[in-house]
Formats: sequence, structure tokens, C-alpha cells
Amino acid sequence: MTSTPMPAPGGTATVVTGSEALEDEGLQKGPLVTPHAATATGAPMIAIDGISKWYGSFQVLTNCTTQVAKGEVVVVCGPSGSGKSTLIKCVNALEPFQSGQVTVDGTRVKDKATNLPKLRSRVGMVFQHFELFPHLSIIANLTLAQRKVLGRGSEDAGKRGRDLLARVGLSAHADKFPGQLSGGQQQRVAIARALAMNPVVMLFDEPTSALDPEMVGEVLDVMVELARDGMTMMVVTHEMGFARKVADRVIFMDKGEIVEDAGKDDFFGKPRSERAQHFLSKILQH
Amino acid sequence: MNYNWNWSIFFEPSPEGVGTYTDMLLSGLVWTIATALASWAIAFCLGSAIGVMRTLPSKAANAVGTAYVELFRNIPLLVQMFLWYFVVPELLPEKLGSAIKQLPNAPFYTAVVCLGLFTAARVAEQVRAGILALPRGQRMAATALGLTVAQSYRHVLLPNAYRIILPPLTSEFLNNLKNTSVALTIGLLELTARARAMQEFSFQVFEAFTAATVLYIAINLVVIVLATWLERSVAVPGTR
Amino acid sequence: MFSNFDFGVIASSLPYLFGQGMVFTVTLTALAAAMGVVFGTLIAMMRLSAIPGVTHLAKGYVELMRSLPLVLVIFWFYFLVPYIGAWLTGSPTPIQVGAFSSALITFTLFEAAFFSEIMRAGIQSIPKGQTAAAQALGMNYWQTMATVVLPQAFRNMLPLLLTQTIVLFQDTSLVYVLSLTDFLGAASKVAQRDGRLVEMYLFAAVVYFAVCFTASFLVRRLHSRVAIIR
Repeated sequence: MTSTPMPAPGGTATVVTGSEALEDEGLQKGPLVTPHAATATGAPMIAIDGISKWYGSFQVLTNCTTQVAKGEVVVVCGPSGSGKSTLIKCVNALEPFQSGQVTVDGTRVKDKATNLPKLRSRVGMVFQHFELFPHLSIIANLTLAQRKVLGRGSEDAGKRGRDLLARVGLSAHADKFPGQLSGGQQQRVAIARALAMNPVVMLFDEPTSALDPEMVGEVLDVMVELARDGMTMMVVTHEMGFARKVADRVIFMDKGEIVEDAGKDDFFGKPRSERAQHFLSKILQH
Repeated sequence: MNYNWNWSIFFEPSPEGVGTYTDMLLSGLVWTIATALASWAIAFCLGSAIGVMRTLPSKAANAVGTAYVELFRNIPLLVQMFLWYFVVPELLPEKLGSAIKQLPNAPFYTAVVCLGLFTAARVAEQVRAGILALPRGQRMAATALGLTVAQSYRHVLLPNAYRIILPPLTSEFLNNLKNTSVALTIGLLELTARARAMQEFSFQVFEAFTAATVLYIAINLVVIVLATWLERSVAVPGTR
Repeated sequence: MFSNFDFGVIASSLPYLFGQGMVFTVTLTALAAAMGVVFGTLIAMMRLSAIPGVTHLAKGYVELMRSLPLVLVIFWFYFLVPYIGAWLTGSPTPIQVGAFSSALITFTLFEAAFFSEIMRAGIQSIPKGQTAAAQALGMNYWQTMATVVLPQAFRNMLPLLLTQTIVLFQDTSLVYVLSLTDFLGAASKVAQRDGRLVEMYLFAAVVYFAVCFTASFLVRRLHSRVAIIR
């Protein structure tokens, strides 16, 4: 995987070909994030506190601790099997963990009293393989959880869905089905679907690694825009160009441990650990 | 070979007093279809519930679902039919038991319950296979959006699973339809029973069985046409 | 509810139930399965042959058997076989073949349709390269089938063939409609003679369950072992 050249500032550099070019409006100007009522000030948005996880006797996470402040963009990288995907899935409890604690916007994840569906609805997540619901039209994908989880009326949910679809440049595709869109378009829809829930945090689990190379840019454009709008983001990715451009911090993981947790410039300038240096040299040598 | 063919037998009055042999076979056909549809309703609902149970994280739900499937799959249908007809009423409290035995159309109700529960085990296996065939990420995506387990199944997992398993479910529907003939052993006057009765009354064995055969093939064709239509009308655009 | 449950009637009829009934059931199952696999393989080969008439004949046969209830097929053959026998031997009157032979022919021909579908999938799962390699070595069609394709197909399909045999074992209980004394028939005769329907049918259910559950458990184990080898 090489780093993808970043599009020009403003993020409208999406290249599309063929007939899709007419219908794919590319990224539209305007904020993707609707401002939230101020949450608890000072406290971190995500606090991961000493979590460990085992599959049977195999330890996948070892005493991981880090924090993500409100509005911060943190990139998580590391070799495959290092536990980075598992780590962000612990944030919304998609993966259970045996010890430690995760707190999201003041709510403890591992707590019997926590209403997990409610917590999850405030944490947007974008998956490697998009995971749009294939039997639902694009607009229905965007409104399902708004109606069922947030209890919004169909009209409100539809309006919010269409607004976001316009922002990611896919208005013309509202009534199509996921199978009729390209991978890049599907991933933009998936981002819009997560944003439709007005999340306070967005988690990205290798959002571009299942895409054909020519589609990576259009998805990264949306993510850059989102970061500039002030969204709190935790992004598992190998796209070091993206990290350089918008990340505040980079976390490097290996064998289930957080090996390096540093500001962007420190990380790319002089990684302290040998493992991170080795990883960076391999990923950046192309 | 000296078999006396007599195809006009179908227009001769049946010894039952009302109608011809044709009417007799057609009334059998109606009972066959009624039994098949009523038992399918039970099989589909119960089978879906048990199939879902076998995909839940709960160990207890899994165990109950597995036990059900193993129990109903490993006893011959005919034995199950006898259990429901002869044994269950005896094991119930006496009043309830004798009330059941005196029900008008007792063979019909018994056959519906028996076939419904039998076929439910087979439907459950298909539903389970369909859910397990979905990408793991689908469940995760639904969960991540805040949908509850019930909502995930209702809005995401089951609509997709049913689409995948429509062809095998059609086969199970046809199996269930054919299995209604086993109920002739408890006195249900379905199609095969009527063909057999016609053979006994008229001695025109091959005419009677040919007619039944043609009718079974006809229902099969109708079901296949309907299933193809259903498959096409629920097909999701953009998928194979 | 089990207060007047009579275990004695089960105990005293065990020799009859197993010595006669179960022996009949197992014999019928084993013979029909063996012959059904042979016929089924032939039908599968016919369906996969390139000769249009032969393909359609095989397909029509399979579709016919799959759309009819087994009970009706049992009745068909029960009445048809004597006439076919008469036709084959040139006898002027139908030949009585006996209920067991009639049942055996029925189950063989009926199950052959189902076995053939399994075999067809098995044969089709063998890569084309295997046939090509065998032919490149100078083997003819029958040599290729017998020494290269079928042995591999059988191995792949063994778990499914065995599962279908368990289904056949259960299906043989339907000879009840011909009043034959298979295991269920024997239980039913004792039940009616002694007025002990509850005991006998429950016992029959327990025995069938024990046999089929154990057999399918063993098939599953075999399946996982075969799966690991391949």
C-alpha cells in the first residue's frame, strides 16, 4: 500500500469517469458536521484506559491506554494483526474486552447500566467493506437507524439523509441500491449514514483498504473535510498521506500493544521505537 | 398384458353418493393444499424463530434450537404422525384429550400440527444457514448504528437471509406439500388417499394413480412458477 | 400421566420388534441404498452425458420422482411391478413378486433419483483437468469414470450419501401403508393387538431417534475428518 497523493485543498478533486461523471457531483461545499451542544468541557471525548482482551488464551490487546480530545483526529496504524481494528471496535463495544475501561463522552462502555444501543448511536463507524444494507435503497440505508434508534419521523430522517447525500455528492443516487454503486460511492454513503445519526465521534476501520486505488481519493476527500469541520475522529488506516495532512496524533500498534503515541510531527519526524521506524520505512519506501 | 383401461371412469359417479370420481379426487386435492398451506404457516414462523435462536450469542437459545432440530429430524414423519394422533391425546389431561379426539376433522388438525412442527426443523436449518451466509460485518454495522439485536434481525439480517434461502425454502415447501400424503395413515382424505380409495372402489388402479400423479405435478409447477415470480419481485437491483 | 405405563409389553415384544421388524428395516435400507447408489450414479452419468435424448430422459425421471409423494410412489410400484413382471416374462397374468421385493424396487428407484442429484454434484465438483489428464493418458470414457472421476466423487459425496441413507432409513417406515412388518409395522401390530399404542409408539420413536441421532453424529464426524484431509 502506498500513500495516495492528496487532492488539492478544498477537496473537490474527485475524478470520475464514464457516465457516472454526470451523476456524481463530487464533494459539495459546506460543513458535514452539525455543531453539537457543548459536551463536558475539558474531559476527553474518548478515554481508553488500560484495556486488555484475549481470544481464549491468545492476547490480542495488552493494557492499551490513550485518549482522544474533542475535535482531535487520531490515526491508528501498525502491521496487520497488531490489534488496531480490535482496539477501535472496543470504543463502541462491538468487541468485548476483559479488563480496563473505555469512556466515550463521559459514558462508561463497560458498565451494566450503560444503554449500549444509545451509546453506539452517538458513535459513528465506517467499516472496511462498507457494510451498507444491500436490500435497502441508498436513502433507506441513511434513514433506517434514524427512525428506529433515534425515533425521528420519516420526513425528518429523509431530509437529513438527502442533505448528507448531497454533501458527499451522491444526491442522484438516493433511490439506487448499494449493489449499483462503485466501492468509493458506497463508502461515501456509509460515511453519510454514520453522520446522519449526529455522532459525537467517528470511528473509521480501514475505510479505504477494500477500494480500488482510483477510488481512494474520493473517500479521503470526505474524511479530510470532516476533520476540518472539527469532528472527533479515530482512524485506522495505512494512508500516511492522510495522517500527515489532518491527523493531530498518530498511534502505532504492534502485537496488541500501543508502542508509540505521538504528535504527528514527532511521529513522522523521529519515531522513538525501532518497530515504528521499521514499519514507517516499509510503508513509505514506495 | 390384460389390463382393462377405462378412462371414462372419471365421469362415473363415485360410490360415496355425491359426485363423480373426478370430484372425489378434486376434494382430495383441496385437502392436500389446505393441509400444506396451514402447516407451512406454522413451519415458517416457528422455523424462523428457531433458526434465529441458533444464530444468537446466547448459549441457552442455541441449545434449545439445536435440541428442537435434532429431535424433529431424527424421528420418521410417520412415527411423529402416530405420536400426535394416538399418543399425545392420551398423555394430556383426560378431558382435554377426549375433546381433541372428538374434534371434527381431527386428522386435519393433527396433520397440520405434526407437519408444521416437522417442517419447522427443516426451515430452521435453512434460516440459520441464510443468516450465517451473510457477511459478519452486516451484524456489526447494524449494531454500530445503535440497532438492538431484535431490530438488527428484523430490518437487516432476516430480509437478506430470506432472499438468499428462497430457492431451498421453495424445496421445503414442496417437501411439506408431498409429506401431507403421510397423513392418509391417520385418516386424512387427501389426494393420495382419494386415489387409493378410487382404486379400491373401481379397480382402475392406473387411471386413479395417473390422475393423482398429474395433479401433483401440476401443483409442483404452479408452486415453482410462483416461487420464480416471488424471487424476481424481491430481487434487489444491482445484485446477481 | 405415565401411571399406567406398561413397560412389560415392550420387554416381551423385543424379540419380535428387533428380530423381525428391525431386521426387515435394516435389510431394506441397506439393499435399497446400495442399489440406489448404483442406479443413481448411472442416472447422474446420463444427465451429464452429451447425448440430448439421454440427458432429458434422466432429467425427466429425476423431476418426476422429486415431485411425487413417496407414499404415492409406493402404491404405484406395488400395483405396477406385477404387470411389468408379466410383460418382461411374457406371462399372460400379473406376476406376484411379494411385498418385500416390491418395496425394495420402489425404494431403490425412488432413492436413485435423490442419490443421482448428489452424485451429479459430486461428479461436477471434479476439476475438468482430471478428465483431461486421464484422457491424455489414453483412457476411454468408462476407464476415466471408473478409475479417476467416480472414486474422487464418491469420496467428496460420502457424507451426503450417508445422510441421504439416514433419510431412507426413516422413509422405509412408510411401508406401513402396505401392512409390511418393518420396525414400525411390528410396533404397530403389537400396539393394536395389546391396546398399548402409547407405549409402543413412544418406544418406536425413541429407537428411531437413538439410531438416527447416533448415525448423523457419526456422519458429521466423518465429514469434518474428510474435510480436513481434502
